[in-house]
Amino acid sequence: MNRINPLYLGLSLIVLITFISYRLNSLSNEYILAKNEYKERLALANELSSLKNVYADKKMVRKSLEKILNNSTLKKYKFNKTFTKSSLKIEAKSLDIKGLNFLMGKLLNGTYQIKALKIKKLSDLRVSLELEIKW
Amino acid sequence: MKFNKKLPTIFLDLDSKYESFSSKINIILSPSFYWVKKVSLPVKYVRDAQKLLPSIFEDILPDGTYSYYTYKKGDDFIVFAYNDKMILDTLSQKGIHLSNVANIYFAQSEIKDIEASLKVSETQSVYIKDDILILVPCCWIEESGKLDIDGIKLSKHKVTIHQFGHIVETKSLYKIGAVLVIMILLLFSEYIVTNNRLSALVNDTGEIYQKYKLKSTTFQNKALLKKYKNIYELQTKIREYISVILKLRLNKGEKISFINIKDKKMLISFSGVQKQRVEYIKKTFHSKGISFKIKSTKDNLRVEVNL
Repeated sequence: MNRINPLYLGLSLIVLITFISYRLNSLSNEYILAKNEYKERLALANELSSLKNVYADKKMVRKSLEKILNNSTLKKYKFNKTFTKSSLKIEAKSLDIKGLNFLMGKLLNGTYQIKALKIKKLSDLRVSLELEIKW
Repeated sequence: MKFNKKLPTIFLDLDSKYESFSSKINIILSPSFYWVKKVSLPVKYVRDAQKLLPSIFEDILPDGTYSYYTYKKGDDFIVFAYNDKMILDTLSQKGIHLSNVANIYFAQSEIKDIEASLKVSETQSVYIKDDILILVPCCWIEESGKLDIDGIKLSKHKVTIHQFGHIVETKSLYKIGAVLVIMILLLFSEYIVTNNRLSALVNDTGEIYQKYKLKSTTFQNKALLKKYKNIYELQTKIREYISVILKLRLNKGEKISFINIKDKKMLISFSGVQKQRVEYIKKTFHSKGISFKIKSTKDNLRVEVNL
């Protein structure tokens, strides 16, 4: 007559349910935290990756600048160009409005890092230019 | 090595007194603990007859919760109804703990093949009439002898006592148990699903930086992001401020003579600007939210903007 008391069995099941619920609750909280971390990390990675593509691709920036300077519109101007490992310095003693507009239009509409810029009016139609682009 | 040890057997009766038992015992229930009938049923097997038992007794049983039992004798069925609580209460009153009880039997199934009546207690005797064991006061009939309880060879018809049958029906207990088990299964499967999702998420999180070809730690990446954000903000300001300067509506004779950007500062020189025109330039810069310092000398104006 040593039968298992159904009350004990029921209590055991309730204890088991409580235990699993508690563990499930902890796990759900852990999951929410992990999901937040995932979202945060993904947002950071997306933002950083986009900015890196714009500012950290040194080869692309240099190549693109060379392309601008070799454009037929700017070829006639005598630019003093100095390429260093991380920057380009451009100097023009005398530049007309057309050349200035073309060059500045390209640089300001692009995502180049302008480190220094000096434009000095020489006459109504001419300016001197000093420019440093970083990458 | 296992020994088959014969357990002591007692005849449980409402009036008898019992000593305390240190070992397990078998119990034969006096007919006063159950209702018994010999019936012929239109079924072949005991399991089919089992379903009919409550209806057989429904007219004769007092209010209460009963358990039923049956076995076959020839073509007929011997059917029993008994009150679990009554048996349990009696055991308790007699000081017999249920854990000390090995098996319980009906007197009907154990006491058979007796020719006359047998004395089972000080006041009661039993005899068989039409295959049914009947309990009667001693004085009613003449006894042929006393019941030799130890000489009885116990049958396989054991009584199952439902300890909680009087509180909750067995069916309800099974239902409650089933609901609890289903809940456990659901919770457990939810736990496994969440655990798998968490593992996958942790794995994906770990692979994000690798996928985007970034540094291995969040700290390094946050520092890099800060650096690039500063660059982005500075370059955006340069373009925005140049746009504001170039959009200034200058009067005839007013000219921008110099623009210099260096070390997060922008310096703009205007020539031919009359004093009353300085306010217009100031207003324009203010309206764009640009912080600046302004210095005017004669018809020259120098504006210093913080980037």
